[in-house]
Amino acid sequence: MPDNRLTQTEASLNPAVTQMVNIKIDGIELQVPKGENIIESAKRAGVDIPYFCYHPRLSKGDAANCRMCLVDVFAPRRAPDGTVSLAKMPKPQASCTLPADEGMVIVTDSEAVVRDRKGVLEFLLINHPLDCPICDRGGECPLQNNAIFYGAATSRYTEEKRHFPKAYPLAENVVFDRERCIHCARCTRFTEDISGDAQLGFLKRGADMEVGTFEHTAYKSKFSGNVIELCPVGALLSRSYRFKARPWDLHSQRSVCSKCSNGCNIKIDYRLDSLQRINGRINEAVNEEWTCDKGKFGHSYVSSEARLKTPMLKTGGEWKAIDWTEALQILVGKLRDANGSVAGIGGQRCTNEDNFAFQKLFREVLKSNDIDSRVEGYLGSVNKPLYERFGYHAMGNAIAELEDMKTILVLGSQLVDEQPIIYLRVRKAYRFKGATVINAVSSVPEDSPKVGDFAQLELVYKPGTEAALLKGILSVLSAEKLASVNGFAKGYTLEKAAEETGVSAEAIQQAARLMATGKLAIIAGREVANHANHLEVVQAIGDLAEATGNAQNINLPGEDVNSQGAADMGVLPDFAPGYAPLENPGKNTAQILQAAADGSLKVLWVAGAKLLEKFPNRELAQAAFASDTFIVVNELTMTETAQAADLVLPAASFAEKEGTFTNCERRVQRIHKAFDISLEIKPDWLIFSEVATRMGGGGGSFFSARDILKAISAQVPAYAGLTAKSLGDEGVRWNYPDK
Amino acid sequence: MAESVTSNIREPQPAPAKEARFSELAIAELEEIASHYPERKAACLPGLWIAQREYDGYLPPAAIQEVADRLGLSYSEVEGVATFYTMYNLRKRGRHHLEVCTCLTCAVKGAYEVVHKLEKELGVHVGGTTSDGEFTLSEAECLDFCGAATVMQVGDKYFTQLTPDNVKQVIDELRKSPDYTPAKLADSIVKTLLPGASETGGGSYSVEDLKNPAGPML
Repeated sequence: MPDNRLTQTEASLNPAVTQMVNIKIDGIELQVPKGENIIESAKRAGVDIPYFCYHPRLSKGDAANCRMCLVDVFAPRRAPDGTVSLAKMPKPQASCTLPADEGMVIVTDSEAVVRDRKGVLEFLLINHPLDCPICDRGGECPLQNNAIFYGAATSRYTEEKRHFPKAYPLAENVVFDRERCIHCARCTRFTEDISGDAQLGFLKRGADMEVGTFEHTAYKSKFSGNVIELCPVGALLSRSYRFKARPWDLHSQRSVCSKCSNGCNIKIDYRLDSLQRINGRINEAVNEEWTCDKGKFGHSYVSSEARLKTPMLKTGGEWKAIDWTEALQILVGKLRDANGSVAGIGGQRCTNEDNFAFQKLFREVLKSNDIDSRVEGYLGSVNKPLYERFGYHAMGNAIAELEDMKTILVLGSQLVDEQPIIYLRVRKAYRFKGATVINAVSSVPEDSPKVGDFAQLELVYKPGTEAALLKGILSVLSAEKLASVNGFAKGYTLEKAAEETGVSAEAIQQAARLMATGKLAIIAGREVANHANHLEVVQAIGDLAEATGNAQNINLPGEDVNSQGAADMGVLPDFAPGYAPLENPGKNTAQILQAAADGSLKVLWVAGAKLLEKFPNRELAQAAFASDTFIVVNELTMTETAQAADLVLPAASFAEKEGTFTNCERRVQRIHKAFDISLEIKPDWLIFSEVATRMGGGGGSFFSARDILKAISAQVPAYAGLTAKSLGDEGVRWNYPDK
Repeated sequence: MAESVTSNIREPQPAPAKEARFSELAIAELEEIASHYPERKAACLPGLWIAQREYDGYLPPAAIQEVADRLGLSYSEVEGVATFYTMYNLRKRGRHHLEVCTCLTCAVKGAYEVVHKLEKELGVHVGGTTSDGEFTLSEAECLDFCGAATVMQVGDKYFTQLTPDNVKQVIDELRKSPDYTPAKLADSIVKTLLPGASETGGGSYSVEDLKNPAGPML
């Protein structure tokens, strides 16, 4: 496996260097870390330097392409007699690759610099078609802005510009207009530095140079959407947003992506009631500024025609649209008749507020503990796998902490699909911080990017043998005295592990040696979560972490947007909100479905859970839906599960409601309402609250999402004191009270 | 939805089929060269020369893929290198690749007349290959042999002091040679990159040398 970690010199430009030096920019004296790029120092001083190719998150090695950030530099020079004087560097310097050093004086507004910038822009515009009126980037384009502020009014270039076909379909979601490209190399560096697939590169040279993929093959990345936002001109464009709107007609709302549990901060750009595009929003602790393609292009359903706009009732096998009054009457009637024989499943796609109202309705109004948010994976007590031993449930580390690990073990996970943003952090740890990554997985897909592309060691084991592999590693640690294994691997040998897992003994040995070198984070994925012997595997993970002194670095992130929050809010059969144990635990998802299939359950309420699509025992789910149980489903569209129900209630998507999500690292983040696509669509919490009110209120009636958040912060210890205001734009990561 | 916007445009191509044509010797050479550098990436240019030799004197997509796979680089990165330098052939060349220097000195000494004569003689324009696949005609930038202008490079050999009158002899002589010169050029360059290499295996020849029975071994 080639080592693509940045070399010492390249990497040393990135981490903060502690030694401070005195420099002067446009007469402003300031102290900056030695080696910091002048363009960054200028930002500190509040001095504006224009640029295209520079980007703080990309490696600096290939920058200084666009020449826009030229500045005059005076550096101290020591004469033979020992006197120090300032000498002007004969040519202007590119400030994006110029490291700060003691005594430097930078001038960004001299006559020469102004002239140089004009010249550079004139060059950059030689081949740029200036078709701004039909360019999606028009109005939010760095090239336009820099041309206005720093460019000349005219060009001396009268020859033919180079021409290419417009809108070359580079990727599934990205089109490429080569005429507009100014060769800043941001997109090519992104694929190499951040996503790790390195599919984009510069072809040819000089006047013929163009960005492209190998032999015009499709750019198949899981992060291709980011290059659209990175592109400082309108060369890389979104296929779905192309020609849809002008940027100045769009409204923007801060939100959190609803596609997975990483909780990327996004902006919803919309016009009237229709979502136009999703852009990344900066949150250094979570997604930095990136988005994955699932999140960036996967939200077209929000404004799609398929959205449910009224409640639907199934009578005699036919769907009939009914109004809310009727729907709620029917539902409340059924719930009354059921007399406590009711159960609820779901909530992982809902906000914390929805989940809190859900469990309030069931526990306090319907007097039933039979609710569960989990559809897949381990359905036993959530305290069993990790909490009872280590004091936390899912992720021991914050996402950003993964950067500082020496070694990262990715176990049983197609990380790039399951946790795209955690994947990017792991990649960052590898590329910029020199971490070593070990990928242990049962099958390796062909597609790039994936962890295997840069993992030092890839252990491909037979499906289901995770525990054996981990025990094998422990036995090596014990045999080579690399860690105090406390007898965890008793009776286990390397040979036995190698035989059971199908991984070579040498590879297991190497893995063990790498893991014993320092801070180790373990990230376990779907294969572990859905393992038949989940507890045994987690036990082995715990043993390994404890033996290597990394008990707080185990990570079992959930997958749905609010799987963490739903559990926090007590949508579990055996815990009230905040993991307070219940005296009379209810039924879990499998038991509820079994009860429905047996005919002993009267009403089942499914809150957005895709039971028929995802529940592992499909026969049981089908039997439950085919039974006499009255099934009500809150859904956005007619999914397979909704089709099989008796009553479907149209629920609001994340773009149409206020609330909070808790991501896999326990960060509580706010979502804001962008628009209503129909007034007949209600947020889940409102549906639960209206039913609670009709059933006699109890603790289940609420007026607003904010009202519920108040109740949550009053009743859930971990969320104590959280208010809409204190969450701010970046959210708050809650910690276990005893820590 | 997206289709209607872009339906008039060619979709991206499927990935080319992979091949592994490096001989054992070629792999050994590549590893030897790569071992001299801290990063395998550094062996990209020599790797492409080896590939150009192994793949009949040019770099089809499969050759680029093979170099990238052997050095652990991405395909587009290696393609970027291969398309940057003009001495890598991206298309199949004729059996003899005639590269006539048309830089300053040669141009002053009548290089374009030589080029035009060759065009007429071969029936192709600059950049073209004869229909029998024998010759490809190109212009070259300075070949660093100005003292003997006009100069033409064929594979690893230089022909010097060419004029429109004597260039026909060179063509005739080359027709007799059994070599495939683009691959031979690549081979001679690879050899200079290997440790202990001193001879390039090439040489320069005037037209007079052609008459010498012990003349150039073409």
